[in-house]
Amino acid sequence: EAAYGQEMNIQFSDVSCNSVAQKIYVELNNTVPCVRLLNATHQIGCQSSISGDTGVIHVLESEADLEWPLSKGPNPPYMVLLESSLFTKSIMMKMKNASSRVAGVVVVQKTSPPEFSPHTTCPNENTGVYTETYDHNLAHCNTTVWNPRGNGLSYEEFDSPVFSLKEDNETEVIKQCYFDHNRVVNGSGLQYPLCAMQLFSHMHAVTDTATCMRRSSMDFSTSPVMVCDPLGGYNVCAFIRPYNSTAFGHKENESVVIAAARLDSRAFFLEDSTGAEGSVSGFVTLLAAAQALREATQEAPPTRNILFAFFHGEVFDYIGSSRMVYDMKNNMFVIDLDNVHSILEIGQVAVRSGTNLFLHSDPVSRRNNTVHDEVGVKCFYLWHASLTDFSQPLPPSSFQRLLRARAIPGIVLADHQTDINNRYYESFYDNAAHLNLTYPSNLSPEEQLEFVTDTAKSLTEVATAVARALFKQAGGNNSQVNKINADPKTVTQMLYGFLVRSNNSWFQAVMAPELKDILQPNPPQYYVGVAKSSHQANALTYLVQYLLANLTGTATNLTQSQCKKPDELPNESTYLYSYLWVQGVVPPNSTQRESFCVRTAVRLVKAVSPAFDLGDYISKEYSTWTKSQWKFIKARIFLVASRDLEMLTLGVGVAVLFTSLLVTYFVRTKADVLFSSVREPNNAAY
Amino acid sequence: MNLERLPNEEKLTLCRKYYLGKLQMYVCVWGFAFLPFLWLVNVVWFFKEAFVKPTYTEQLQIKTYVKRSGLGLLLWVAVLTTWITIFQHFRAEWGEVGDYLSFTIPLGIP
Repeated sequence: EAAYGQEMNIQFSDVSCNSVAQKIYVELNNTVPCVRLLNATHQIGCQSSISGDTGVIHVLESEADLEWPLSKGPNPPYMVLLESSLFTKSIMMKMKNASSRVAGVVVVQKTSPPEFSPHTTCPNENTGVYTETYDHNLAHCNTTVWNPRGNGLSYEEFDSPVFSLKEDNETEVIKQCYFDHNRVVNGSGLQYPLCAMQLFSHMHAVTDTATCMRRSSMDFSTSPVMVCDPLGGYNVCAFIRPYNSTAFGHKENESVVIAAARLDSRAFFLEDSTGAEGSVSGFVTLLAAAQALREATQEAPPTRNILFAFFHGEVFDYIGSSRMVYDMKNNMFVIDLDNVHSILEIGQVAVRSGTNLFLHSDPVSRRNNTVHDEVGVKCFYLWHASLTDFSQPLPPSSFQRLLRARAIPGIVLADHQTDINNRYYESFYDNAAHLNLTYPSNLSPEEQLEFVTDTAKSLTEVATAVARALFKQAGGNNSQVNKINADPKTVTQMLYGFLVRSNNSWFQAVMAPELKDILQPNPPQYYVGVAKSSHQANALTYLVQYLLANLTGTATNLTQSQCKKPDELPNESTYLYSYLWVQGVVPPNSTQRESFCVRTAVRLVKAVSPAFDLGDYISKEYSTWTKSQWKFIKARIFLVASRDLEMLTLGVGVAVLFTSLLVTYFVRTKADVLFSSVREPNNAAY
Repeated sequence: MNLERLPNEEKLTLCRKYYLGKLQMYVCVWGFAFLPFLWLVNVVWFFKEAFVKPTYTEQLQIKTYVKRSGLGLLLWVAVLTTWITIFQHFRAEWGEVGDYLSFTIPLGIP
């Protein structure tokens, strides 16, 4: 029996799946598509037809080579493959206008161009504080254009699919197929069969958010199809002195200084969002400042409270901050706007020229004396940073949403004096290389984690300044200030985890056991994603939550079951704190992790635009961004035959059909003649 | 059902039933106005009986029913074609109204 079983096994392993489809198509697996997003007035992004778009592959060599797919090439439609250096607005717009000859575009990521920003020149211009009514001169970036390199490519609408590929084996296969079949040999023209690619990215939603939300909620058929989902996520909030989390509304005699930073970013291809200078520099600095403040605020608590707020969804018209302001105004948050004393926001701080740091403020609210005193005179105690020009407005920042509700004194800390220093604002080149995050080549990943880079040192200085300023702004004792220092080791470990590889030993120690799978060998994704109905956040939110818990919370000696239900214990309260069970480090001589329970004031606060709660999908006040749904997205390459051959095959088939019909008719009418010789012997027998 | 085997009175009853849409005694007689398919059946099935076959007593009435069914059918075709053309052309522009009038809304196109 054993021998027989073995023989069976060998037989099974020899049988492979030999379907015809596998011999024709080569599936491409690591693709990132451009998808459709909608807001109150527009739809942006890309759409393919429902049965995919097929085109003959053409590798674009230069901008002049565009003539081939656009006019000269004899086999339209073409699928244009271009390298990232050719992914510019002029080329994309030319291909958009010739959509009958260009079936789709595939971008292969290679070298970074010197500058590229697919975002708009004036980010979030309609949902910030600078509207026509607030100050006519400052609206629509009249005085300062914040992102002058912006070409607005992310906000264009394409009706053919656009995909992105990394440079790996699959791209080699495509290029090989192209060189074998599609190259023009000198003299003779292109010979069929040609190498073609088919892209499927059919989006369900159209027109705008109001239309797609209406169609999602119509209930006529038995299974209503959800057509689009609102964007959103969770904000991460932590008070130094936590309040009862069930008591919403105004807190008497409480004054809070808000320290804010932005979590999210985007790129043209949403799932490929990095965001090194755009968001990581800001929130890593704030995390390091929170750690620096922990000791001092526990020894000598300042008079005012400090709220560390990490807002999500800010790229898409300030989803997180507009939600917090809305909650504060409607008594759905633990404090309200009267409790807010001032706000210090950390913008983009990693690309400094020298040691320069700048403080941006709002000129309109500074006309009020108390505001001017806080901002212009005291400068939030950030003495070695310089205040920008008095008449210059605020850059795009979450502080603008608070200003829309109340004239609160506030400052945005940044590395740029006028327009931003970020050459790759909201694009997929804004990564570790952009921040010059370089490690010596002979280090292992764990050694790279510990290595303190220059960028980390620079951000540590900023974090120290921020922490000391927050301490003084919150009324802390001056004698304690010099003890507040940010830790460069923490900063460099965070930069490594957020920009190079999130699956490292420190992040593993800080995370909960059930969440350890979100740590990957790549950096996390910075796109805010859709708001899920279950209480699930995306990887970035959990990372920031658990890191903030580790850096500001206290380790307790509760057991795992006690950590789940701490209310049963006399000194613990889930009203004030949240209790998280984290993995802990692996001690050097064993393989088991020393897990423990962290008591922390960190909470996740829902960040979905108020427009969806109010049902106002054409709101001009709040963000109305939604993302379309789709059935499947895939790409594949195959060889395609000439049109003539296809028509010939069809013709032959039709001819065979008619011939067989004729023959059948003929046989039927002459049946008695044809088959009579067979019948007679039967008759004779009976 | 083969018409050739039926006696003439039964053919007339059948033709009347399809014309009136009164397939059962208790069906409301307003069914009469909303049955273009029954009238189509009437016209196609009884055309030979009414116009081709040699005359018999009931044929005159059958002829009337077939003619009236034919007219009703043409009217229905005209109304439906006009409405369908207008709806298909303008549904996208009608926005909300168009969506409320639709049973299944196509995905991905306005």
